[in-house]
Amino acid sequence: MEMTVSIRNRSALHHLVCCLALLLYMPVCAQKQVPREYRIRDGRMEIELGRKISRGALDSFILQYNLAGIGLQHLVEKYISDSLKRYGWSIDRNDKNKIVISKRIGSLNDIAEPAERIEMTEKHPTIAEMFPAQNNGVVLGFNRFVHKFPFTIMDSSVEFFLRGHIRAGQVLLAGSFTGWQNHPLRMKLTDSGWVLPVKLRPGKYWYKFIVDGNWITDDDNLINENDGRGNTNSVYFRTNVNFTLKGYARARKVFLSGSFNDWQPQSLSMQPGDGGWKLPVYLANGTYVYRFVVDDEWIPDPANPETFPNEFNSVNSVIRIGKPLMFQLPGFTSARQVMLVGSFNGWRRNELPMIRRSDGWELPYTLGAGNYEYGFLVDGKMMPDPGVPMHVKDHSYLVIDPNYTFRLKGYANAKNVILSGDFDGWSPNTIHMQHSGDEWIFSVHLSAGKHTYEFIVDGDWITDPGNPLFEHNAQRTGNSVLWIEN
Amino acid sequence: MLRNGLIILLVSSAMAADGPLPEHRHTAAPPGDQVVTSDSTTCIIPFTRAGNLILIKGTADTTEGNFVLDTGAPGLVLNLTYFRKYAASQTTAEENGGITGSVRSANRVQLDSFSFGGMHYYRVEGDRISLAHIENSKQVKILGLLGMDLFRHTEMIIDYRKNLLYLHLIKRKESVSYHSAQLDDTTAYHTVPIELTDNKIITYGDMAGKKLKFIVDCAAESNVLDSRLPAKVFDHVTVTRRVLLTGSGTEKVDALYGDLRDIQLGGGKVNSLPVLITNLEQMCTAYNDGCINGMLGFDFLSLHKIGFNFVNQKMYIWK
Repeated sequence: MEMTVSIRNRSALHHLVCCLALLLYMPVCAQKQVPREYRIRDGRMEIELGRKISRGALDSFILQYNLAGIGLQHLVEKYISDSLKRYGWSIDRNDKNKIVISKRIGSLNDIAEPAERIEMTEKHPTIAEMFPAQNNGVVLGFNRFVHKFPFTIMDSSVEFFLRGHIRAGQVLLAGSFTGWQNHPLRMKLTDSGWVLPVKLRPGKYWYKFIVDGNWITDDDNLINENDGRGNTNSVYFRTNVNFTLKGYARARKVFLSGSFNDWQPQSLSMQPGDGGWKLPVYLANGTYVYRFVVDDEWIPDPANPETFPNEFNSVNSVIRIGKPLMFQLPGFTSARQVMLVGSFNGWRRNELPMIRRSDGWELPYTLGAGNYEYGFLVDGKMMPDPGVPMHVKDHSYLVIDPNYTFRLKGYANAKNVILSGDFDGWSPNTIHMQHSGDEWIFSVHLSAGKHTYEFIVDGDWITDPGNPLFEHNAQRTGNSVLWIEN
Repeated sequence: MLRNGLIILLVSSAMAADGPLPEHRHTAAPPGDQVVTSDSTTCIIPFTRAGNLILIKGTADTTEGNFVLDTGAPGLVLNLTYFRKYAASQTTAEENGGITGSVRSANRVQLDSFSFGGMHYYRVEGDRISLAHIENSKQVKILGLLGMDLFRHTEMIIDYRKNLLYLHLIKRKESVSYHSAQLDDTTAYHTVPIELTDNKIITYGDMAGKKLKFIVDCAAESNVLDSRLPAKVFDHVTVTRRVLLTGSGTEKVDALYGDLRDIQLGGGKVNSLPVLITNLEQMCTAYNDGCINGMLGFDFLSLHKIGFNFVNQKMYIWK
């Protein structure tokens, strides 16, 4: 359906054809090797560009090397070098075949001084690193566009496209990935609209276009969100997984369903395409099980050999995003079966059989950021992980990618300080804080939003003396309140 | 002028102990040189991190807090913010250079005692400068930098994976023979010669037939390569992006990030080493021993467990 709607729109179709043509032509271009190089010679940085470099390739080059605003486009397209010279560049060659410009790499005066040296070598984040994906708590994301195809992704660059507005004098792209108005990006005019490639990591982003100074959402994007301050922004998910199902040409509808969408059978509609069905989505780090629903028939992914058993005496297909952790249980070599069971797999007891080794059991399993409870089911009997000191009741407690550190100053003579809150089910004996200097500290992963917690100092529950925010609880003793921003 | 200044300050930076030393402590006191004591043969010092900087708890007289381990700094550096009350014994300025090699305002102050992780120093001198930029950038209170002069008589092993620093104060009698038990298995690591010049750790790499001189600097987050190196070196560099470095005041200069391929370093070939490429001309004036070609920072050092014997002048890089 989406394909039909899109093709009806001529400008979008033209854009698509251009993109496809560019895609197909790219390898040929690469073979012809239109020069495009940034190098260092004799203490100078030197840029060599073929005069016939395409506008898209030049845009990508400028974006990659942070060269916006120095006038490189003017030199390539109009032979004008004033701006470059103003920024200290020499024009070493500028003819019909090639452009070579260079600039001496200067030296900071005080780099031998310790503070300057440390500062100089600090990581200089890219714009994408400065304004990363807003993935807090987002497990699954997908795009819904009308009148145009989803933005093309090539070499980790997403080509944003604003259809129409071809009479506008200037269009800027602003979003969570540019710090909004801090670093808006200038889009390029084509005959069907405005385009700009932007390097983005997989995840969720918000964006708007600024057309001659007016901020607008993307009318062709069906997914938008209010930021809670009265602004509506378009939402774009930079996808990282392309679910595909080959064949089934005669199927009327195909859906994707899995642990990432609580097994809703009809929320993720796959699109027909050449030789099958597909659906690109964003998935956060973790391990997921899924199936396809082909005209109401549930089938595992025939192209994916990795499966986990399910409760219907069948199997679900498995996909892992991110690096796996190795869960290990030493010993118990005479056990018949050991299963890994945890909050991360909905406590399904028959899904994750561990692999027998000569000295115990193990299972690689990928988890995203978060706090998890788990245990081992040894011949049907649950036990915590003996190698992990933190427990919630009879389960082990695991923190992946902590993003917040709780601190309790003082209490130097306390023997035991425990952190307890909604993030560990208010367990009174799980998170033992560590004494460091003049404070007790512990780091956990907290999702965006509100959290409540207390400290337990040698058995006494107290609110956080360093946090003025608290609310009454059932015992009317008060819980400290913490908000984690998105 | 700078060279003379450096010599003066290096001499004045030597630490001495006049008073009685605590009992049951190991000492290393070459004649006329600094005196250091440690509580035990080997100190195992846990560290935390601010970004990629190693933070170690220390006590300067009565002031406790974080110090950054900085093998790129020649000696102890104290943050002006927390040590204003100390009288300056000597001013480091452009006229006389300084231990920091700086032309900015810095001065020498003396602490009665300084200790961290079982290591103790008495009447120790340090350069007092502002470290506000680093504090602001890292959002951590930083009292100072632990530079090389504090470690000249030690074997140091940095384990980034376990966040542990192993320090052994090498006594004169064991200078030649001593090594940590972690170094018993000689097949587990490469041994690379180092030089200590102006209290800087110098090691060499080889790239396209060119011998490259590097400072080993654990407070440098990025590896650094001098932009003035010959073209044959940069034939092995892929430039990945351009950045603007901001110096003191409003000074800004271009620099590039790149990947250096196939450099012989640390006893083996490194297939790809991320580097910040900038002009290190100003470094030349800061050192008696001429220019350096680059710095090996966190991006290299954190790849493996790494150790140094500053007495025998060796670096150990675990495989």
